[in-house]
Amino acid sequence: MADKKNELTAMEHLKARSRYLRGDLAADMADPMTGGVSEDSQQLLKFHGMYLQDDRDLRPERAKKKMEKAFGFMIRIRLPGGVITPKQWLALDDVARTYAGDTLRLTTRQTFQLHGVLKFNVKTALKAINAVALDTIAACGDDNRGVMAVANPHQSKIHALAYELANRASAHFKPQTHAYYEIFLDGEKVAGEGERDDVEPIYGKTYLPRKFKIGFAVPPSNDIDVFAQDLGFIAIVGKKGEIEGWNVAVGGGMGMTHGEPETYPRTGDVLGFCRTEDLMKVAEAVVTIQRDWGDRTNRKHARLKYTLDDNGADKFRAEIARRAGKPLEKARPYAFTSNGDRYGWTQGENGKYHLTLFVENGRLRDFPGGPQLMTGMRRIAEVHEGEIRITPNQNLIIANVADDQRADIEKLAAEHGLAGQAGALRRNAMACVALPTCGLALAESERYLPSLITKLEERLAAHGLANEDITLRMTGCPNGCARPYIAEIALVGKGPGRYNLYLGAAFDGSRLNKLYAEDLDDAGIVAALDPIFAAYAAKREKGEHFGDFCVRAGYVAKTVNGLDFHANVRVPAAAAG
Amino acid sequence: MSVFSSIPKTAPFSEEDVDLLNRVVGPATAVQRAWLAGFLAGVEAANSGEAVHAAAPPRAAEPLTIVYASESGNSEKLAADMAKAARKLGFKPAVVDMAELELSTLTKAKRLVVIAATWGEGDPPARAVRVYNELMGEGAPRLDGVEFGVLALGDTAYADFCGVGKKIDERLEALGGKRVATRVDCDLDFAEPAGQWIDGALKALAPAGLNQAKVISVDFSGKPHAAANTDIVEAEVIEHVNLNSSRSGKETIHLALGFDGAAPAYEPGASLDLYPENDPAYVDEFLKLAGVTDDALRHEFLTARDVTTLSVKAIENYAAATGHQYVKKLIADGEARDWVNGRQLIDLVGTFPISLDAERLRALTRPLAPRAYSIASSRKDVGEEAHLLVSAVRYGSHGRDRKGVASNYVAERLRRGARVRVKLKPNKHFGLPLPDKDIIMVGPGTGVAPFRAFVQERRAIGATGKNWLFFGDRAFRDDFLYQLDWQDALKDGALARMDLAFSRDRLDKVYVQHKIWEQRKDVVDWLENGAHFYVCGDAKSMAKDVQATLAKAYADVKGLSAEGAEQAVAALERDKRYLQDVY
Ligand code: SRM
Ligand SMILES: Cc1cc2nc3c(=O)[nH]c(=O)nc-3n(C[C@H](O)[C@H](O)[C@H](O)COP(=O)(O)OP(=O)(O)OC[C@H]3O[C@@H](n4cnc5c(N)ncnc54)[C@H](O)[C@@H]3O)c2cc1C
Ligand SMILES: Cc1cc2nc3c(=O)[nH]c(=O)nc-3n(C[C@H](O)[C@H](O)[C@H](O)COP(=O)(O)O)c2cc1C
Ligand code: SF4
Repeated sequence: MADKKNELTAMEHLKARSRYLRGDLAADMADPMTGGVSEDSQQLLKFHGMYLQDDRDLRPERAKKKMEKAFGFMIRIRLPGGVITPKQWLALDDVARTYAGDTLRLTTRQTFQLHGVLKFNVKTALKAINAVALDTIAACGDDNRGVMAVANPHQSKIHALAYELANRASAHFKPQTHAYYEIFLDGEKVAGEGERDDVEPIYGKTYLPRKFKIGFAVPPSNDIDVFAQDLGFIAIVGKKGEIEGWNVAVGGGMGMTHGEPETYPRTGDVLGFCRTEDLMKVAEAVVTIQRDWGDRTNRKHARLKYTLDDNGADKFRAEIARRAGKPLEKARPYAFTSNGDRYGWTQGENGKYHLTLFVENGRLRDFPGGPQLMTGMRRIAEVHEGEIRITPNQNLIIANVADDQRADIEKLAAEHGLAGQAGALRRNAMACVALPTCGLALAESERYLPSLITKLEERLAAHGLANEDITLRMTGCPNGCARPYIAEIALVGKGPGRYNLYLGAAFDGSRLNKLYAEDLDDAGIVAALDPIFAAYAAKREKGEHFGDFCVRAGYVAKTVNGLDFHANVRVPAAAAG
Repeated sequence: MSVFSSIPKTAPFSEEDVDLLNRVVGPATAVQRAWLAGFLAGVEAANSGEAVHAAAPPRAAEPLTIVYASESGNSEKLAADMAKAARKLGFKPAVVDMAELELSTLTKAKRLVVIAATWGEGDPPARAVRVYNELMGEGAPRLDGVEFGVLALGDTAYADFCGVGKKIDERLEALGGKRVATRVDCDLDFAEPAGQWIDGALKALAPAGLNQAKVISVDFSGKPHAAANTDIVEAEVIEHVNLNSSRSGKETIHLALGFDGAAPAYEPGASLDLYPENDPAYVDEFLKLAGVTDDALRHEFLTARDVTTLSVKAIENYAAATGHQYVKKLIADGEARDWVNGRQLIDLVGTFPISLDAERLRALTRPLAPRAYSIASSRKDVGEEAHLLVSAVRYGSHGRDRKGVASNYVAERLRRGARVRVKLKPNKHFGLPLPDKDIIMVGPGTGVAPFRAFVQERRAIGATGKNWLFFGDRAFRDDFLYQLDWQDALKDGALARMDLAFSRDRLDKVYVQHKIWEQRKDVVDWLENGAHFYVCGDAKSMAKDVQATLAKAYADVKGLSAEGAEQAVAALERDKRYLQDVY
């Protein structure tokens, strides 16, 4: 939709007239002649946790065959903190096997996506999902998205609290309209709800200007990438391990558009500290400020990060105080060590054990002649008595396993290739979904990264760096779904087989990277990185991470914050034709 | 023995002519006189099909009832040919489609000929089912003294070869009829045997008078009896697309044909007979197994012989030709009939190898028959083109992958630019009604082909009647044939309604009959308002299920008894408002 200056976007008008997200969805879903829905309905679907997509691999053949696009629905589960019970897991496994091509996709925000669900099966699938106390409400759309929380629960008490707060935030900011139940679950109509004004106490009729994301981090782990959240909370833990409260980070976000410098990724600013009992008030203050101040005339300038830069931190901080009825205290010290996962077993303070399993790009499937990940997890879910957690790095934790059950779980994981030994670079890598389902993808990502990593790991090994933890993230377009701009090495799709290379982010996700080379193809990427690996091996200081080295060695200038992300770029004229 | 009596003065000739004629005809021999009779009748028959009885020989014309039970028109054509020949012999033939036959009238018929094809798996042609069942049923009238003969059409490829003809033949006798011509069962190459049977039967049926004055039938058409009424033409493939998605297990080819000049003048509902060629890989293996290397034969096998169909007859020929012990045993043990199931000629020579010469191998085969494909276009829309929708027949049996000859010739070997021989097969029993009539079309799978022609035609002529289509296949995303065409038709009104039934992409398998049942109220309403109901596609189950469902719909909507509902549907058939083209 073209956003004309100072005029509300078409999306705002649509929300306003949608009668709380109803629009023509019911009719469009029932139309038997097409697997798709109207433009407007596609937008409204997002608020209900779904996207209309089509299999882009099939696009070239469809018109020739006198067929419309191969439409399929992407369904995203609302799963605060990424915690799911084995029973729920089995239900999702069933849905995936029946309606979504025998595969489940773990996302970078700790939940599941199902792809390619036929329109005529959507309601049945949603009923099965809701039957196990799961839903998809606000998993997408201009609202508060899936709320993240530190995944590994080994510091039992604090993690339990972070998880509880994630749940409360998710519930508190959940849209109240009954449209979802009416349209998809055959729930009875709430007479006249569409016409009332008081249905959404927090959002109102037009919800938020854009998506909004909240996350809870517990140092030293920054696994959720707290600085990529619109609103991030950092647990502040006292000497005796008691929780003092939370630092408040505001204005993080990744998305940008190639060639539009006014769009940029941004790491959140820590504006202050609040106590747990005030946290929800602070959160509501920030959400409503974005609701009222956010730019509804230009969707590429509508995220909180721009609202913050447009108004300035001081004005923003003051408004939080006004709305929360109490000023934020001075931020307290904290220290992150990494934004990755710890693989293998850890023991929690509660005596239970947690097994973290690496799942490449979050893709669960039974690979023909390869690892049987779907079946493996199903078997585990059948015997596991604790819960299962999805990490922000698209991995899995079999959590709260009793000592006497560790052997069984480990055996099942091994038998099905879930405990495979991946190299260091692979273990620290993420790729977004991209092709064939993502409508915005400019290049491959999930389907391409594994083979690229194999080549890069060869080079690293050649330089004796085989076991170095280096974060690498790839996305098929600049939207940044795998949070690439806070990875030490980032590859961002520019066009088919072409990527921009970014370097110099901090290992703990606290600093953005910077553009190093443009339009690299497969060979170009390896050729560009190999000499830097060599230099790193030779010249790095003790304990120096790759991203820091790239800045010190001058491969890229240091990025202070979003506003200078595009500044000081010294790209050697587009490498590798 | 009738003596020639001179031509009366009252004859419509001048006096000189009468004398002249008497002078010529008087001394003529019986044979000469018969020839003359045949000649004159023939001249008339050839000039005008109708006025023949005017040119009847001296005695009152003998009535002869010729009933045909036909689906694809072969029996119907033979019935017409026979009537023509009969007229020359002084009969007064009445040709009746079994679909419209009133059984009671047969009791009065002195002479009866039935030409019947067998369809489905030993079933009568769709149109004839109702009357056929009456004939086989309790209520059938006695036919004492009726002289009859039956000609059966069939295909030795089918287990129940000419089953319908056989049953009718027995039944007529059981009802008291007097068989005067023994039945002949024709295979796909029926022209010769059918022609001979017709001549023989006419002689046998001829009344005393005609019998002695041996009539020499004179053929003026110059064509054999069962000759095609339309000619084989060569067409060029101008579009060749598999309409199923690459994720589908099926392959259905949209084949657009262009012609040098005008396309055969087809009407919606017609089919094209397509002349296929055999799969070279199959032919080569077949020859290899038989130990025959002969280029001429190879060429003939590729283009002109049916080298796949295995019939009991073929097994018997093989036993005779080779004296192969095991094959003989197979026949002796009465296992041949089962053995042919799912097997082909290649299995025979493969399983019971024995050296054969080219001539004997050829003797096992029959002429390669064309395959019919409904035309999926209207000339008013596509001009001088004809579109076909061909589903590739593939299956495995007895450890072999099998491929349908014609459908895979189209799917695998015809390509854009290729040339193919086709022949128009009009179908006057499956045409469109008046433009203001509503129509309901039921065409799952390739059954939808003629309905694309219907919709194109009715859009082109601005027909005011509403069009309602029921379509179904396996999966919405992969097998929705012509989806974009139908979406457009619904937008521009060429289709008023479309109901879809997909069976493999949701939990509850849905078929067209389920949709018809769901919509039964509207379906019956439409029919009550004079709508025509069309069914095309699979004969084995779909067509039967649809008909049963429609009867149930009538019973439910109109509160009729089971019989009442049956009759309602039967009435539709009689009004020619329930039309089928099933295969
Ligand atoms: C599944 C997931 C990537 C993954 O491999 O896991 C994903 C997938 C998509 N994202 Fe994302 N995003 C996902 C996390 C992110 C993140 C990371 C995060 O939130 O921590 C970001 C960057 C943070 C941010 O929001 O800035 C992200 C920024 C975007 C954007 C850019 C937003 C912006 O303000 O610039 C878009 C496009 C848009 O919104 O216009 C987008 C849009 C999309 C869509 C829905 C494409 C679309 O709009 O048509 C992608 C669906 C692809 C597919 O076929 O599944 N996605 N997306 C992640 C699902 C998270 C979840 O469970 O909710
Ligand atoms: C009036 C009419 C219209 C038609 N219209 C169309 C049309 O529009 N589109 C279309 O695709 N077809 C149509 N057909 C069917 C078409 O004529 C052919 O019969 C079909 O294409 C198969 O021919 P073939 O040469 O490929 O197969 P053949 O070589 O003739 O083999 C078919 C035979 O293989 C055997 N066989 C097939 N499947 C199996 C199985 N699963 N297991 C065991 N044995 C099996 C059976 O004996 C069957 O008779 C129509 C038929 C008629 C009579
Ligand atoms: C779908 C189909 C099924 C057939 N089933 C049989 C059968 O069961 N037995 C048989 O002897 N012939 C069978 N035949 C062959 C027909 O009887 C043969 O083609 C005949 O010439 C058709 O005559 P018609 O054009 O008058 O209908 C079948 C033909 C088709 C196309
Ligand atoms: S980053 Fe781009 S390509 Fe990748 S999933 Fe997100 S929107 Fe799609």
